[in-house]
Amino acid sequence: MIGSIVLSLALASSLVAMVMYFLTYRGYQNTLNIGRIAYHSMAMLVIAASAILTYLILTHDYSYKYIYNYSSNDLPTGILAATFWAGQEGSFMLWVLLTSIVGIVLQSYSSKRGDLEPRVMSVFTLSTSFLLVMVSPLFKNPFAYIWTEPLFIGASGINSAFLSQPWIQNFLFSDNSTGQNFVKMGPELYAALSSAGIAVKDFIINGKGLNPQLLNFWMQIHPPILFVGFSMATVPFAFAIAAMMKNDYTQWVKQALPWVLAGAGILGLGIMMGGYWAYEMLGWGGYWAWDPVENSSLIPWLVGVASIHTLLVQRKSQAKGGIGKYAKTNLILSILTYILVLYSTFLTRSGVLGDASVHSFVDPGMLVYLFLVIFIGTFIALGFGMLIYSWKFLSETMETDETLLSRDLALFTAAVVLCASALIVLVGTSAPLFGNSVETFFYDEMHIPLAIIIGLLNGLSLLLKWKQSNGQDLLKKSLFSIVSAIIFTSLIIIFGGVTNIMMILLALAASFSLFVNLEIAIKIVRGNMKMLGAYVSHIGIALFILGVIGSAAYSKHVDIDLVKNEPKEAFGYQLIFTGYNPIENNTKYAFNINLKKGDYNYTVSPVMYISEFNNGLMREPAILNLWTKDFYVSPVGYDEGSGDSHNHGQVIDLEKGGSSELNGAKISFDRFDMPAETMQAMQEGKDFQMGAVLTLEFQGKKESFELFRKNVSGQIQFTDYTSKNGGLKIQLINLTAGKIQISASKLNESSEKSVQQSPKEVLSISASVKPFINLVWAGVMVMFIGFFVSVSRRLKESLIK
Amino acid sequence: MKNKYIFGGIIVAVFLFLMIYLLTQSNIQYENDFAKVMAKDKTVKATGSWVKEKSYELNKENKTFTFYMADHSGKEMKVVYHGTIPNNFESAVSVVVTGKYQNGYFHAKDILTKCPSKYEEQNVKSSSM
Repeated sequence: MIGSIVLSLALASSLVAMVMYFLTYRGYQNTLNIGRIAYHSMAMLVIAASAILTYLILTHDYSYKYIYNYSSNDLPTGILAATFWAGQEGSFMLWVLLTSIVGIVLQSYSSKRGDLEPRVMSVFTLSTSFLLVMVSPLFKNPFAYIWTEPLFIGASGINSAFLSQPWIQNFLFSDNSTGQNFVKMGPELYAALSSAGIAVKDFIINGKGLNPQLLNFWMQIHPPILFVGFSMATVPFAFAIAAMMKNDYTQWVKQALPWVLAGAGILGLGIMMGGYWAYEMLGWGGYWAWDPVENSSLIPWLVGVASIHTLLVQRKSQAKGGIGKYAKTNLILSILTYILVLYSTFLTRSGVLGDASVHSFVDPGMLVYLFLVIFIGTFIALGFGMLIYSWKFLSETMETDETLLSRDLALFTAAVVLCASALIVLVGTSAPLFGNSVETFFYDEMHIPLAIIIGLLNGLSLLLKWKQSNGQDLLKKSLFSIVSAIIFTSLIIIFGGVTNIMMILLALAASFSLFVNLEIAIKIVRGNMKMLGAYVSHIGIALFILGVIGSAAYSKHVDIDLVKNEPKEAFGYQLIFTGYNPIENNTKYAFNINLKKGDYNYTVSPVMYISEFNNGLMREPAILNLWTKDFYVSPVGYDEGSGDSHNHGQVIDLEKGGSSELNGAKISFDRFDMPAETMQAMQEGKDFQMGAVLTLEFQGKKESFELFRKNVSGQIQFTDYTSKNGGLKIQLINLTAGKIQISASKLNESSEKSVQQSPKEVLSISASVKPFINLVWAGVMVMFIGFFVSVSRRLKESLIK
Repeated sequence: MKNKYIFGGIIVAVFLFLMIYLLTQSNIQYENDFAKVMAKDKTVKATGSWVKEKSYELNKENKTFTFYMADHSGKEMKVVYHGTIPNNFESAVSVVVTGKYQNGYFHAKDILTKCPSKYEEQNVKSSSM
């Protein structure tokens, strides 16, 4: 309750701040201070609400639906705190929190830069207001109580002392297929609990728990970093609108640059961290699957990075007065970056990707869906409305002269290529909106030529001078890099066995840019370190592309069955499965595999376990990280090799009178066959048999047969039956009062063969080698460092008036 | 000045042409009506739910994973996937398989399982005791 109140107050403060800042912009006096106070109270209230939510999570207060749904008592503290953002409500809350904090910095930043503050902050508070409506009790409120809507709670989460109480019996349900018991929590039960004087948090004592795929280290840092990037994307939008509000397009460029750089750096890091998470923990087998959720955060990043390039040109061309080149482009890209962040949220949160069918808009989602549409619509209308309004002025004042061989045009082209990439991903990711989907080769095929152009531009643009260069001069300067790149690529072709022409071109382009940037970077290290940022980032990109060539295009993959202690060869390594051992308090199993190559000996241990959360088999890969490659082992399955043939068939439980269907054949259990002499033999301790009469119906033909449980001198035996008609072999496994268990296997499957084999423990794995994957991670880290070197340089520049 | 626009226009046109061409090549339709899935000779993404009563079968020798899916009208279809059972399969509320229907069953290249936890809480179908 208190959480909802705090959030509602925060929304009110945000609206007050917005109005006051806007009035200040319109020329009112005395409103600026009210706006500032309102903004800071909003931020404090949001921080307080987040603290309350964290406290409730840490103290396991399951009277809140959100906490019940995503956490449980057994989670380690770090992960438990991270369940803050495990679901929709909480991740919106995280977004609000981080946006509010970004706003505090922005308020201080803009207040030191002329009359910027009222304009920037009125736009910024519009965004915080929308986000706060999103977490308000109307929509995705993390403080909603569990009883507001009927919800079935597993009986294991209920304090067992209450389960026998008479008043609860009306709320007890059981699921016939699984035999689990549930309590229906709703307003009626809440009323019953209140009248009995029982607090809900004492009644519900354990939550549903966290999806095991989220239960790891990265869950604690990946989402916050991603959301910092999302929050920071609000800032260039606010700057662009602020520029149009004043019709002044010179100052905002250098004021926005440090924000755009920092935002893109952080978002990029967050995206790649998600990739690493998928690679290292989830066993996707790679770091990028063109998954809609991944894509939707990549799109704003690409557009944001594009805007960095054209912002730089505008800033540079302002040197001789005027607003500079690409003023319109910059406004468009800055507005688009934030709109694409919102669009990304819409795609992943509204349920449109959920099943890609119209049916996924169910009731509670419909409101959220509409609200998200209004949210995006408002920002599109605001951004592009203002742009149309100021278009004429911009066209008249903008500088347009261009020569082909100039750094200006090269940077612009880079931005165009990045936008093209963003468009490709956008189109592919949005396809489910129209009931379609694209195969991932669409993204791959489209990006290979773009990546080649990016590599070339990446090198070329730095060799070109601003304004104009001459061709001969350019050739002279690039000689070293061209020669080095050709030598380097030849080495890749010879030693790496790269033969695909596109990959050779890509390697050539990437190594060209690598050498150009290295050459300049080395010169700079001796001179002015501040200037290093761009070159470092571009070295990062070049390394990244080279890493992708190796790890994606030349990754090799094989499925192997490892029989215990029997060596097998794969990729020049000898693999021996040596057995498994329980880890983490016997909750998981590590399967140890010895890897041997020459004198080197390694052990990798992929993990499998049955998750209590969803009763599913979970798998975690193991990675042998070497300098030049990763050896990636993903567990597939484990067969203890008990020798039972029914492992290969399907086990079916049948009650008397029940039936089951298999391969189009209907098997029904008609009755038990227990003649009087059986009873007698049983009592006398002699050999006896009990029978079960079954009927098999296949394509209209019926056949009746009997399976026996025999007691032969104290040993229990079961018989089987082979039906040629149904193509099935049916084996009795167990016979108890009222119920039998059979295993049915198809005849063409050689189940008998496996019976004759001696029991073998078999671990099935999927192994792959990822050459030079380290370059991917190193490239991203280098890029990230480059971004921040640039931030520090641009931050200083933004202060000079 | 004019050349610039013509040049730029050609590049944009080529790019868009390529993108639309590849889009049609890689395009896969979602289909939640299995009668249509069976009639089509094209790769589709069939959406439906796993028929729990018919369980599933893992074949070690052929490395296949076989199960039955039902669409919203209850029409069932046999699905064979080359590979193993995906994480979370048992608890999935809906299943999306990508592939083609041929020779009496659906050849799945890819299985996507939708888990209740990831999206919204599951409503348990239950009957009173």
